Amino acid sequence: MATKRRTTILVVLGLAAAILVAIWKPTVLIYGVQQAGLYAAIAIPMGLVLGIVHIVNLAHGEFMMIAAYATYFACRATGMDPLIAVLPAAAVTAAFGWVVYKLTIRRALKAPELNQLILTFGLGIMFSQLVNLFFTSQTRKISLDYVSASVTIGETSFGVWQFVFVAVAAAMAYGLKLFLTRTTLGKAALAVGQNPKGAAIVGIDVDRTYGIVFAIAAALVGGMGALFLTRSAIFPAVGSPFTMKSFSLVAMAGIGNIPGILGSAILLGIAESLLRAFRATRGWADIVFFVLIIAVILGRTLKWRKS
Amino acid sequence: MTKLKTEHLTRAFLGLVAVNDVSFSMDEGEILGIIGPNGAGKTTFINLVSGIIMPSSGRVEYKGRDVTYMPAHERARLGIARTYQLIHPLENLSLIENVMVGSIFARRHGLKTARAKAAGLCESLGLSGLDRDTSRLTILEIKKMEIARALANEPEVLFLDEVMAGLNADETRELIAQVQTIARERKLAVGVVEHVMGVIKELTHRVIVLEAGELIAEGPYEQVSKNPRVIEAYLGGAA
Amino acid sequence: MNRNLLRALAFAAGALAVSLPAFAGAYPLQVARNVIMYMALALTWDMLLRSGQISFGIAGLFGLGAYATALGVLRAGMGDWLSLAFAPVFAGAAALLIGFLILRLRAMYFSIVTLALAEIFRIVIHNLHDFTGGPEGVVLDGVMLGGSAAALYWLTLGGLAVALGASWWFEKSKFHFALTAIRNNETAARSSGVDIFRWLLATFVITSAIQGLLGGIYVQSYGFATPDSVFDANFTLLPLAIALLGGIHSTIGPVFGAILLGLSSEWLKLRLPYGHLVVYGVIIVVVILFMPQGLYGLARKGLRRAEGRAE
Ligand SMILES: Nc1ncnc2c1ncn2[C@@H]1O[C@H](COP(=O)(O)OP(=O)(O)OP(=O)(O)O)[C@@H](O)[C@H]1O
Ligand SMILES: [Mg+2]
Repeated sequence: MATKRRTTILVVLGLAAAILVAIWKPTVLIYGVQQAGLYAAIAIPMGLVLGIVHIVNLAHGEFMMIAAYATYFACRATGMDPLIAVLPAAAVTAAFGWVVYKLTIRRALKAPELNQLILTFGLGIMFSQLVNLFFTSQTRKISLDYVSASVTIGETSFGVWQFVFVAVAAAMAYGLKLFLTRTTLGKAALAVGQNPKGAAIVGIDVDRTYGIVFAIAAALVGGMGALFLTRSAIFPAVGSPFTMKSFSLVAMAGIGNIPGILGSAILLGIAESLLRAFRATRGWADIVFFVLIIAVILGRTLKWRKS
Repeated sequence: MTKLKTEHLTRAFLGLVAVNDVSFSMDEGEILGIIGPNGAGKTTFINLVSGIIMPSSGRVEYKGRDVTYMPAHERARLGIARTYQLIHPLENLSLIENVMVGSIFARRHGLKTARAKAAGLCESLGLSGLDRDTSRLTILEIKKMEIARALANEPEVLFLDEVMAGLNADETRELIAQVQTIARERKLAVGVVEHVMGVIKELTHRVIVLEAGELIAEGPYEQVSKNPRVIEAYLGGAA
Repeated sequence: MNRNLLRALAFAAGALAVSLPAFAGAYPLQVARNVIMYMALALTWDMLLRSGQISFGIAGLFGLGAYATALGVLRAGMGDWLSLAFAPVFAGAAALLIGFLILRLRAMYFSIVTLALAEIFRIVIHNLHDFTGGPEGVVLDGVMLGGSAAALYWLTLGGLAVALGASWWFEKSKFHFALTAIRNNETAARSSGVDIFRWLLATFVITSAIQGLLGGIYVQSYGFATPDSVFDANFTLLPLAIALLGGIHSTIGPVFGAILLGLSSEWLKLRLPYGHLVVYGVIIVVVILFMPQGLYGLARKGLRRAEGRAE
């Protein structure tokens, strides 16, 4: 109930901001929403893991980075379009995520929460440094024509390709909702997320469920890696900022509230885009997320202390 | 002399009233039994008077001073000490260091003085092997260590939340005698929560009975144990 | 006897460290300076960890101290030594303010907020072009102490001495009891009169001040500061890996961890032009999974077992 209210508030705020900005500076709105789609699509898998496995995966962005690298080399070798690689990349990253879960995360689930945090922090460094080791810190990019497609309406002209991220984010949120409420596996995952002990008692294999959820999240973020490559240059550290941004969005939406991630992403995407629109404030755009995450966490503890 | 008293003390958890309008008082040198069926609110009551949680309403007074919303560590310094139903050893400190903590922070003694005082306390409770890890202690030793840590606060009021639980008959007898000696020597007011009525009968001067958060009876054990409401509360709880 | 032996060893190590410039060349001295810097940072990280709080914000306080020194010289005309003293004061004051806000947070919330704060400091400094020099940073007129390699080495060693002294003091004083009690069981600690917030605040301010001091030393020994150099995530990452490997909750653990990791990463750096930091990631993962108490913890356990057998 509380998360529903929060989602509503976020959506209303997001819409209000969108309308204001749309009237004043339409491109800010458009780029803000596009960026929001990217953020949300990367954050949703993290929200899934946090909501069900209850760990903050500080290597989250690195999963995307690894998938992007794998896609890059596959495309370079075969001349394939990264778009075609989205599904294979998702499959490969799912397997990778499952292995990582089995080899590391699983062993730390019973350890103190802080061990898990340090573990995933270490995994993130290991991944990005391994890529650095093998492929150097050189940036790599695949140039595609369709990415620069643009549309002109009246005075404003803007790129449209990035709307694909918005579509993917919305599809992810909706698909996960269906998965969690309609399928046996999804329902089991939800039960495990709410009460692992209880779920174990009714015969759900908690460990296996965690592994699958982790693999699904890896698959989603892996597919995003391939998609990310269509537009952006990649380098070993490209993923890490997305980890913090994703966590900010998940924390803002409230753990377990996947649609809320969309709402908070739109709010932040527009805020960032607004700051980026002016030379004087451009450099401050990156601060939005960090200020937000601190505000959300402090606000929440205040509320806890009151109750 | 009244050491501690509460007036209309109440605490609700999301609709469940765990302690409901409880008024009581405790005098110097008195050993008070706090009894009631499982979930009656005994531990919550101790949490409220020791400051571990804050009340929804009502008042707590210690030696005439209002301490209702005073943080736990300040109450510990004033002289309210307690042990926990679920043991709370500090597992990265040795036996004697566990006891020293009370002396160092509640009394602000230096480490040397604290060590000497803690050693004395341990001895009076029959604890030896003071440099051992807490993982090597028996249940009885852990319980004694926690009593010693509470006593290291040099309190005037002490609450013992089911310290005898999990002990065998001999150990229980030993601990009862020690608690009696300590209370007498230090003129402590002691609040004892126990489910074993034999212990309550032997140890306490007076008893209060909680049921569903409410204080339903008060008086010497012999008298309270014949109270029909109390009998019903226990039978109801057992059924 | 055991204790005397340890004391003698510590003394010998100290003498060796102080006299290193007498026989080591420029390159080993430079390596030693790095090792010392990270050792000191690892100690400060561990000191706060003894209360159970994991900071991911070392680089933030380090960077603040670095800029306090650099801007103290350039904007306030401070002398070299005064600017060095200003770094811990500034970082400590910042920690005091921040601490009031964030030391009620626990577990991952505390960690994430410290990480976010470090980023905020970096972005702020990045953007205050006129005052901080923006992304290009600031350059001092020269390196302190006439740029003498030996003197700068001793300066860094002085920073380490402060961290070692503080860590040792934490182990021998009321801090040890307060922080261990808080880490083990906050409820029990409160009932024993521990004012948790006050002890955490004191620890946070002290460790942050030392991190700031180390940042100041860094700036004074290299003569420049840019947001990307002094807020580098490595100043968070390496100390963490070092303390974990050597053994947390101790003074000796970070010391050995820094020597082991510092030397091996220096060796790797020569072999691998890219990605030599992978060893830090691997170590963090392996240590957390297989020996959460670190090497010192393993050694202690081994010793105890040997003693048990001897009894
Ligand atoms: N932190 C809390 N949040 C919600 N409910 C609580 C909390 N602490 C206690 N309660 C509830 O308050 C009631 C009283 O609990 P309390 O532990 O005080 O009982 P008790 O008399 O000590 O029982 P026992 O004899 O089993 O120890 C119980 O119903 C318990 O579930
Ligand atoms: Mg109880």
